[in-house]
Amino acid sequence: MEDLAVAVQASDVSLWGLFWQAGLIVKLVMIGLLGASIWTWAIIIDKMLGFGRAKRAFDRFEQVFWSGQSLEELYRNLGDKRTVGMGAIFVAAMREWKKSFEKGARSPIGLQMRIDKAMDVALARESDYLSARLTSLATIGSAGPFIGLFGTVIGIMTSFMGIAGSKSTSLAVVAPGIAEALLATAIGLVAAIPAVIAYNKLSSDAGKLTARMEGFADEFSAILSRQIDEKLPRA
Amino acid sequence: MRASITSSAIIHAVVLGWGLLSFSAPSPMDMANSESMPVEIISDVSQLQQGDKTAAKNDKPAPKPSEKPQTVPDAQNIGESDTDTDTKPVPETKPKPVEAAEAPKPSEMPVEKPEPQPDPKPEVQPEPTPVPATEVKPKPEPQQEVKPDPVAEAINETRTATIPTEAPKAEPAPVAEKPAEEQMKLPEKVAMPQAKPTPPAQTAKTPERKEPTEKPKKTQTASTPSKDKGIADEVAALLNNQKPAGGGAKRSTDRASLGSQKPSTGEKLSQSEMDALKGAIQKCWNVPAGAEDADGLLVTVKMRLTRSGEIEGTPEVSGSGSSPVQRAAVESARRAVLRCAPYSLPQEKYDTWADVTVNFDPRDMF
Repeated sequence: MEDLAVAVQASDVSLWGLFWQAGLIVKLVMIGLLGASIWTWAIIIDKMLGFGRAKRAFDRFEQVFWSGQSLEELYRNLGDKRTVGMGAIFVAAMREWKKSFEKGARSPIGLQMRIDKAMDVALARESDYLSARLTSLATIGSAGPFIGLFGTVIGIMTSFMGIAGSKSTSLAVVAPGIAEALLATAIGLVAAIPAVIAYNKLSSDAGKLTARMEGFADEFSAILSRQIDEKLPRA
Repeated sequence: MRASITSSAIIHAVVLGWGLLSFSAPSPMDMANSESMPVEIISDVSQLQQGDKTAAKNDKPAPKPSEKPQTVPDAQNIGESDTDTDTKPVPETKPKPVEAAEAPKPSEMPVEKPEPQPDPKPEVQPEPTPVPATEVKPKPEPQQEVKPDPVAEAINETRTATIPTEAPKAEPAPVAEKPAEEQMKLPEKVAMPQAKPTPPAQTAKTPERKEPTEKPKKTQTASTPSKDKGIADEVAALLNNQKPAGGGAKRSTDRASLGSQKPSTGEKLSQSEMDALKGAIQKCWNVPAGAEDADGLLVTVKMRLTRSGEIEGTPEVSGSGSSPVQRAAVESARRAVLRCAPYSLPQEKYDTWADVTVNFDPRDMF
C-alpha cells in the first residue's frame, strides 16, 4: 500500500509531467499534433487578415472603377503596381485589349474571346490564391482526432502492458498511463476543432470573394464587348 | 505567412505556459480508515461472521483462540481484556516486574457467570461452574450509592457494564472505556490514605478483582498499620500498573476461522421463524377497511427486542403512501406490534433478532 502511495506521489499529473512520461510514439503524436495546431492557427490568422485585406481592396477598386474614371487612366494607374483580385482581372483584360488594338484586331469576336480567356486565367489564379492552404485546414480537421486517437490507443496499450508487468491492477498504477494517453486525443481535438470551424468559415468566405470577382469579370466583359462594338465598325 | 506562423506559435506558447502553471497535479484523495472485510463471506451485513481475517474459512465462525477464560459474560469484542471495549488491543510494550502483592490469588478469581442462561455464541467458553450468582447480584445498588472516589466509581461502572443487564450491545463498550482513562490519571487522587472506601466488601464480589488498580488499595489497607514497610508498598501501590486498555473480553477456543473482528455469529432467522413472527404480529393487526386495496401499500416494522421478546423502545413503523387510509394502516400496525409483544423467538439466535425488520403487504393478509 505504501509502495502505491509512493508511486502515486511520484507520478506527476501536470501537463508537462503527462507529456514527459509518455512513450516515444505518443510523444511524437503529441508533437505532431502540436505542430498541426500551430499550422492551423497560422493559416487561420493569415487567411483572416488576407480576406479582410482582399475585401477592402475590392471595395476600393469597385469605388474607383465605377467613379467614371476612364479605363485607360485606371489601367495606367494600376498597370505598374502589383494588383490582387479584381484589379488583377482588370489589368489582365486591359493588357489583352491593348495588345489586340496595338496590333490592329481584325475580328471583334476573336478579341472578345481572348479578353475572356485572359480574365478567366486571372480569375482562376486569384481564386486559387484565396483558397490556398484551406485544404490543409480540412485535412487537419478530419485527421486530427484520428491521429490523437492513435496516440491514445498506443498509450493505453502501453499502460496495459505495464499492468501485466507490475502484476497490479490498482488504479494508481494504470491511471497516469491512461491520463497521458488521453492527453493525445485531447491535443488532437484541440487542433481539429478550430481547423474544422475555420475551414467552414474561410472556404465560404473565399467562395463569396470568388463570386464577387466572377461578377466583376462578367460585368467588365460586357463593358469591353460594348466598347469593341463601338470601336470596330461592322465588317 | 511567416508573420502568421510566428504569431500562431506565440499564441500556442502562451496557452501552453498557462496550462503548465494551472494544470497542477490534483491533491491526492484521502481514504477513510475503515476496517476491511473479507469479501467471500458477505451475503448480508447481518451475516458477517466474527472471525479472524487471516484464517482459512471454516464451518464454524470463530476468531483466534484466546488464552484467558471468559470473565465478562456478555462480551461482544474478541480480546484478552477484562472489560469489553471496542478499541483495538494495545500491544504490550514491556513487561513490568510483577510484584508479589499483585499476583492474583487463584482462589479469588472464579470466572463468574451470573446466570446460567444459554449464550447465543457458539464460540463461548466451556462454562465454568457458575459461582452463586445470587450473591453477586444484589450488590450493585449499595455500591453505586457510595461512590467514594474515582476508583470505586470506575469499578462500579465497569461492573455495571459487565453485569448482564439487557443493555443494547454497543453500550458496554463506551462505559467500560471510561474507567481506563480515569485509571490512567489516578495516582494523584488516590494518594490520600484516608480516601479509603470500603474496598474489602467490594473486592469480595466484583469480578474485576484482577485489576491491578484495585490491588493497591488492598496493599494499602494491609500496610497502614505497619508504617515501616509502608513507603515502598505505597509507591508500588500508586504506580499505574494497568496495561493500556483495549480489546474486548470475549474468549474463544475454537480454531480461527475467516471473518471480521466485528461481533456477529452469522446466523439468521429461518423463513419459518420469520413467518412465525409475522404471523404473531398479523394476529393482532386489524387492518383498517380499505387499506387492503390501497395499491402498493407496504408497511415496514423495525423494532428492537430484548432477550425475553419484549419490545425495547418504540417500534419504528413506516409505510409507503400518504393517503389517510394508508396512514391509518401504518398506525394500526404500530398498535398491533405493541399489543402482540412479547414474541417468542429462538434464544440462541438473539443476535439476529435483537434488531428485526418485518415487511407487511396488507393485501397478503386477506
